[in-house]
Amino acid sequence: MATRVVPVVRPRPMRLSWWVSARALLIGFAVTNRHFWRNLWGFIRRKPTVFTVQYPEQRLPFANAFRGMPVLVQMDNGKERCVACGLCEWACPTDCITIFPAETADEIERYPAVFDINMSRCMYCGLCEEACPEEAIVMSQNVEIAAFSRSGTLWHKDDLLVPVAKLEPRLQHLRRGYDR
Amino acid sequence: MPTITIDGRSIEAAAGAMLLPVAIENGIYIPHYCWHPKLSIDGSCRMCQVEVEGSPKLVIACNMPIRDGLVVRTNTPAVEKARRGVMELLLVNHPLDCPICDKAGECSLQDYSYAYGSRVARTREPRRKLQKRKEIGPRMILDQERCILCRRCVRFCREITGTNELGVFNMGDRSVLDAMDDRPLANDYSICTADICPVGALESKDFHHKLRIWFLKKTESVCPSCSNGCNITVQHYRERVWRLMPRRNDAVNETWMCDHGRLTYQHVNSPDRLRQPLLRRAGQLEPCEWDEALSVVATQLRAVAHAGAAGIGAVASPHLTNEEHYRFAQLLQVLGVTNVDVAVVLGPSDALLIKAEKAANARGARDMGLQPAAGGLGLPAMLEAAASGQIRALYVCGADLWDTADRQLLERALARLECLIVQDIVRTPLAERAHVVLPSLTFAEKAGTFTNVAGRVQRLQLAVTPPDGQLSDGEIFSRLLGLLAEGRPSFEPHAVFEEIAQAVPAYAGLTYERIGPLGHALSAGTAGQASVGGATASV
Repeated sequence: MATRVVPVVRPRPMRLSWWVSARALLIGFAVTNRHFWRNLWGFIRRKPTVFTVQYPEQRLPFANAFRGMPVLVQMDNGKERCVACGLCEWACPTDCITIFPAETADEIERYPAVFDINMSRCMYCGLCEEACPEEAIVMSQNVEIAAFSRSGTLWHKDDLLVPVAKLEPRLQHLRRGYDR
Repeated sequence: MPTITIDGRSIEAAAGAMLLPVAIENGIYIPHYCWHPKLSIDGSCRMCQVEVEGSPKLVIACNMPIRDGLVVRTNTPAVEKARRGVMELLLVNHPLDCPICDKAGECSLQDYSYAYGSRVARTREPRRKLQKRKEIGPRMILDQERCILCRRCVRFCREITGTNELGVFNMGDRSVLDAMDDRPLANDYSICTADICPVGALESKDFHHKLRIWFLKKTESVCPSCSNGCNITVQHYRERVWRLMPRRNDAVNETWMCDHGRLTYQHVNSPDRLRQPLLRRAGQLEPCEWDEALSVVATQLRAVAHAGAAGIGAVASPHLTNEEHYRFAQLLQVLGVTNVDVAVVLGPSDALLIKAEKAANARGARDMGLQPAAGGLGLPAMLEAAASGQIRALYVCGADLWDTADRQLLERALARLECLIVQDIVRTPLAERAHVVLPSLTFAEKAGTFTNVAGRVQRLQLAVTPPDGQLSDGEIFSRLLGLLAEGRPSFEPHAVFEEIAQAVPAYAGLTYERIGPLGHALSAGTAGQASVGGATASV
């Protein structure tokens, strides 16, 4: 077979694009620089001019649609609204909920004797809240679940109970969302 | 045979059969509540209405006899509308208990309400208030609000058990299901009413508020509580058995199961289960490793057998599988043991399902040759011999010996024995007296076959995986065989059953595939004769 010479077209040096990107780089530096000086000026005057929240002393309110860790709704009589139907346990994609049902002589005859959520596994998807037929488990605005040990990330029923009054905004949001 | 047409499909059916079972057998599903294959026709739920050509109105399929040329349509708008109407009326007073109802997930009212129910109720009146959580028997509770008055349970108590405990009282929209004043629902089959209840009105106390049924995994098995061998499904979750449910097998248990059998699963989950072999050291039973326990057993048995195999007695357990019995018989044959018998607890029996032998596989043990061989001693004679010192070592599987034998004779025998090997699942009184205790597994934790009293070989399957390091009875026998004889036989139930099919004439030609899910009846002529590896045992 005869040897064939294939001419290779090499790209020309990208002079124009180099200058364009260099310009963008310089603009970026300028923005950072401007913020630094403004921040410093604000700090000296004790009047911050740039949006920085001093967490954890300072906190911002979350929107009602925000999904923090799931919590259990506590009714006014101090008991949980949950009837241990197990739908959240079934819906949970990470299998982080464990429920053991039990019976009482109350009007609502069934309650969870054990309701554990393994927060290290929870991924805040909110499917438990969506599955719940009793509005008993809702996503809160709490995201502070750090613990010093593995067992500290296992939340039991007593840790999870939150009075219904505190969860009212989220419940309202849910009812609107699901057209209840 | 009359030919009928259902939804354009032409189907041949036996004359005199009803439309509903014929349709269901041919894969055309017609929704129904009150009809049950093993009960009489009631026709009270009106859910199975279908359109029949030539009939001015819809007819109920459960009470429509087959005749030649019948043309039936099950999915027309009129049928759909009728089903919607029936569902709406059934749901008028049904409480919204699904989140706390044990039936949720296997409830036909729930299923059909997804298919034919309305999302909103059109009634403004409050729902009927009736008694909830009423104890109507030692094992059953009744929720009258949930009941849809299909009367399946009433017919069950009238036709199957003949005890007539249940009835529908009052008339019209005041009708309620209840037990008779003088008769609680206490028959031996009372939990079957919970199975056939299409809603959650009748619930078993044992399973009440235990677990949502959608978590349960189902494994086909055989009930271990008596020699009838009722077909069951073991329902398990997270390596625990939660309940046993009957499985339809018209040759054995139809669709029923006794309460006693249904509640026998509890020993599987027992916290007292033995998990490690125990060895008697300085008068105390102490846990030890498997290798040590098995080598002690092998050494002891070999030592006694050297002085004469008549010094060893073996008591087989009627709870083990055929495969395990076969390996035990092989083990005894290697040692030359002829004193072998099965200890079976006898109890009350009835004409329906409950048999007197309170163990699943006594027949299988005898079939595998675990009965006194020529010149061997039977159970009472064996204990006498042990009490007089002729039998020095006793290998006991299971605890049935403790319950069946004459206690005084047993005490005398145990006091005299040099070596007592007990293989059981918990520390029974007999195990407390043993020199070596080998922990074994229950019916839910192993695969194999049982042979019921009528000679039907049925398969049980592994439902719950035992903890690591636990050996089944079959594996224990196989490892002992390896220590006492050449080679090291493995214990694969499938392969052992093939050995049985070769060695035991009654089981010739059988395989797990031939046994299938519903079992295989041994032919009557060959049953009861067994020869394991050449040694023939007479009946």
